[in-house]
Amino acid sequence: MIHVIHPGLQTTIQDGGRIGFYEVGMPPSGAMDKYSYAVSNLLVGNNENASTLEITYLGPTLEFKVDTVIALTGGDIPPKINGELVPMWETLEIKAGDQLSFDFVKSGARVYLAIAGGIDVPQIMGSRSTYTLCGIGGLEGRSLQAGDKLEIGTDNERTPIVGARIEDKYIPTFTKKHEIRVVLGLCSYRLTEESKERFFAIDWLVTPEANRVGYRFSGERLNFVDREQPFGAGSNPSNVVDLGYPIGSIQVPDGVEPIALLNDAVTGGGYATIATIISSDLNKMGQIKTNESVRFVSVSIDEALAARKVVKNQLEEIKQQLNR
Amino acid sequence: MARYEYGGDEFIFVELSEEMSLEVNFQAMAITEELRKENQPGIVDICPSNASYMVRFDPDKIHPDELIAKLKDLEQTVSINDFEISARIVDVPILFDDPWTNEALMRFRDRHQDPTSTDLEYAARINGFESKEELIKAITDSPYLVSMIGFVPGLPWCYQMVPREQQIEVPKYVRPRTFTPERAFGFGGAFAVIYPVQGAGGYQLFGTSATPIFEKDQRSYDFKDSMTFPRQGDVFRYRSITLEEYEEIRKQVEEGTFRYLTKDITFTPKTVLEDPKGFSEDVLRRLYA
Amino acid sequence: MMSESTKVLAAIPGMFYRKPSPEEDVYLNEGDKVEVGDIIGLIEVMKTFYEIKAEKAGILESFLTEHETMVDAGQELAILTEQSE
Repeated sequence: MIHVIHPGLQTTIQDGGRIGFYEVGMPPSGAMDKYSYAVSNLLVGNNENASTLEITYLGPTLEFKVDTVIALTGGDIPPKINGELVPMWETLEIKAGDQLSFDFVKSGARVYLAIAGGIDVPQIMGSRSTYTLCGIGGLEGRSLQAGDKLEIGTDNERTPIVGARIEDKYIPTFTKKHEIRVVLGLCSYRLTEESKERFFAIDWLVTPEANRVGYRFSGERLNFVDREQPFGAGSNPSNVVDLGYPIGSIQVPDGVEPIALLNDAVTGGGYATIATIISSDLNKMGQIKTNESVRFVSVSIDEALAARKVVKNQLEEIKQQLNR
Repeated sequence: MARYEYGGDEFIFVELSEEMSLEVNFQAMAITEELRKENQPGIVDICPSNASYMVRFDPDKIHPDELIAKLKDLEQTVSINDFEISARIVDVPILFDDPWTNEALMRFRDRHQDPTSTDLEYAARINGFESKEELIKAITDSPYLVSMIGFVPGLPWCYQMVPREQQIEVPKYVRPRTFTPERAFGFGGAFAVIYPVQGAGGYQLFGTSATPIFEKDQRSYDFKDSMTFPRQGDVFRYRSITLEEYEEIRKQVEEGTFRYLTKDITFTPKTVLEDPKGFSEDVLRRLYA
Repeated sequence: MMSESTKVLAAIPGMFYRKPSPEEDVYLNEGDKVEVGDIIGLIEVMKTFYEIKAEKAGILESFLTEHETMVDAGQELAILTEQSE
């Protein structure tokens, strides 16, 4: 059992996500940075879909009531056990009575806390991920609150080795300027050629409206090609006949501020989508904070698939090393 | 001509038409149904939408270009002429012009095209109706095809089964509201919707549905198999009700005893497209028989 | 009388506000006396408002960040001078 002394800003239970229900409008939820999430579970010997705590910006204070093994990965929000700094990306031993707390965030935005066995909450549609908008998954469908008690689950498949550490080359570092790769397309024909160029040419600032639903960026106005709106679309030039939104797709309502749709986003609607963040860079998006800047980089589908393979191979190599 | 687009490395988006029509929605339904039947490995989600559809896939199992080739093939071979839809006709009771929706929409007048009237009055005027009562009559006279599900879990986009010249069309809000009440009945573009849960939204608001669209506890009969009620292809008839009936239905919903009035129906796109009025009359006759 | 200055830091990134809402007065003026737990300002991020509270009692010496500016985590917001007899 783990007691929540202080919940942090937004700490939720997340796993690999609620997959296969997009057609009824159910977004996947799940860990925003799937790479860090996966590594945290590997370090404590959990199976691939075990639930972890996703910690955003400001860490919680937790008290462990049992001896266990944990690992912390993701952005650099320095963790402390009983007030002493401890390393991230390493398997750590916990004794009953230990308190875990955090310093201010140094870089990145989200930390994953894996506990051997995962966190035991009911599975909803095959997942324990929290989706706060509909109040499902996780602990009562919400972020953690002071006084909550978390039960440890049985999602472990290997015995973890305390002190096992991920090699530095596998540990991502996060700065305040980011490059995010996207595949241009979907309804990008709606933007003028000049606006398409500007989309890739400027640094976009992440506004305070940046959460698990999506990130909103400020920069400059983008313009749409003049046309008579097709029947059923609505009158704004950024409107299309309501359609499905891929996870990671970017839209620009009224041309004003681009929004990247992420894990808890709406699954469809009536705004023209212009590009989609590639799966490997969705991990990076999850580590971007408000007030940081993003430059979008256009890549081909083959480059996107190659980047995906790189992440997959890295996780495979980490798995091999930890199993040795 | 259909457009095939990559949605990153996990989605293919297919726009069959830029414009909404019953034909194109039936086409999206027919293609996605065929794709579902084929049960191809590597397909994660099949999401039909209004004039388009989207497929989520696992690129480790199927290359996107291979999938696109497959989908283009379906576009050629699947015809709505030999497509049959098995669905439900559903009676959906709506309290129009209700106090809760009006309270909510008055809070966002600065985001609306016409801050001086309500959404119903505005929509009636721009669609050439004499009064909001006439608009409500037009909305409730003919049934709708549930043409897409999404936005949030269960939200049904509904397209009225009437000829183009009779379609009601309204713009979306100038800037979206940050609040929409749960079960609000809205209209945007050529689509009617019911918001399953409270949240942001940009559609014009006309009323409140007495009945749930999303039920996370899955207590009542219609939610036994799923937290969401609407399915694509369903035929919804929106019926205007009094405050008295609204309160009676709400009581049943809260007690968990409510059950939607539904009838099963099998129909072809052809019957709808050739004689929408006849189809509509047939639907209402069966529903209330 | 002894005095010691501490800096009040932003725990999270976001938009810093010195007022509870645009129409209301600031929580604190420079020179005001502060008790432990008093609200110094708000930071808005992810559609939530996080209260920055005084961890020590004293005098709010000066603000280092203006009302309605974007701050990074760890950024200095104000100087608090503790006083003890």
